Amino acid sequence: MFARKLIARSMLICGLALSPDAVAHHAFAAEFDGKKPIRLVGVVTKIQWTNPHTYFYLDVETGAGATTSWACEAGNPGALSRRGWNRDDVKIGDTLIVEGYLAKDGSRLVDIRRAILPGGRSVNGGTPGDGGPEDRGAEDGTAQH
Amino acid sequence: MLESAVVDGCCQWVAATPLGVRLRESANLFSIVETTHVLGIVGTAGLVTIIDLRLLGVLLPQSPAQDVLRSLVRIAWYGFALMLISGLLLFCAEAADLCRNRAFALKMVLLVALGLNQWIFQVTVYPGIVARDPSLSLRRRAQAAALLSLILWAGVVALGRAIAYV
Repeated sequence: MFARKLIARSMLICGLALSPDAVAHHAFAAEFDGKKPIRLVGVVTKIQWTNPHTYFYLDVETGAGATTSWACEAGNPGALSRRGWNRDDVKIGDTLIVEGYLAKDGSRLVDIRRAILPGGRSVNGGTPGDGGPEDRGAEDGTAQH
Repeated sequence: MLESAVVDGCCQWVAATPLGVRLRESANLFSIVETTHVLGIVGTAGLVTIIDLRLLGVLLPQSPAQDVLRSLVRIAWYGFALMLISGLLLFCAEAADLCRNRAFALKMVLLVALGLNQWIFQVTVYPGIVARDPSLSLRRRAQAAALLSLILWAGVVALGRAIAYV
């Protein structure tokens, strides 16, 4: 019966949409390209310590006194704090080193996989389980070097 | 457009309230509210699915529709309350972005459509359906409402997820 098929399909969509995997916020691959790594050294101009993602805006020198602005996305405040990256660790005017991946749409947006904080500490900036490069699931995401 | 400027201004204001800021910048509260929202949706959409399948004759054909509806609708409303309260809190946290999010706008349209569908069913179909021998046309209308409800709820859930991807 047509109606039954339709119901079954609607329920399948419901089930997929509510599966535990989908309850996490957007995954790495939705926005970023794992084949386009990038490293930035820049001065922090703006910080958004917000859910569901944090953002650090950097001015990166491009030579001859010129700079370009980049937006760098990291995990949510809770995920970062659990790895020892706290709200006060980065302030406007600090120099931040970011290693990550470029956005698929070609904009100056980077997913932070690792950051060297102003104090010299290296931390993983992803959300555990987001499926991005070097995602080690629920493990503590602190980088090894 | 003037309207969109007003809506935008209201959303910016909501996002800047202490409640919005607190939730947006919280370490754990935001994810707790997110989880509560999903639980609310499960409670509402899950029970509504059972009700709709009963109206379509797929589920519990031996139990009178009146009994099934009476016992489940009340609990579904609790789920709806949970969904609504947590949804409003999430909106406070993310209002600045949500007011420009197409998936969110369409989700709100579907929720209004669900409300209208429910209201029309409640007023024009339900009283007749619980009577001793409902007419065939009335049963067909109940089935149409149930099918529409299933599709709209699937759409609401899918669009809710899509908010993070547009």
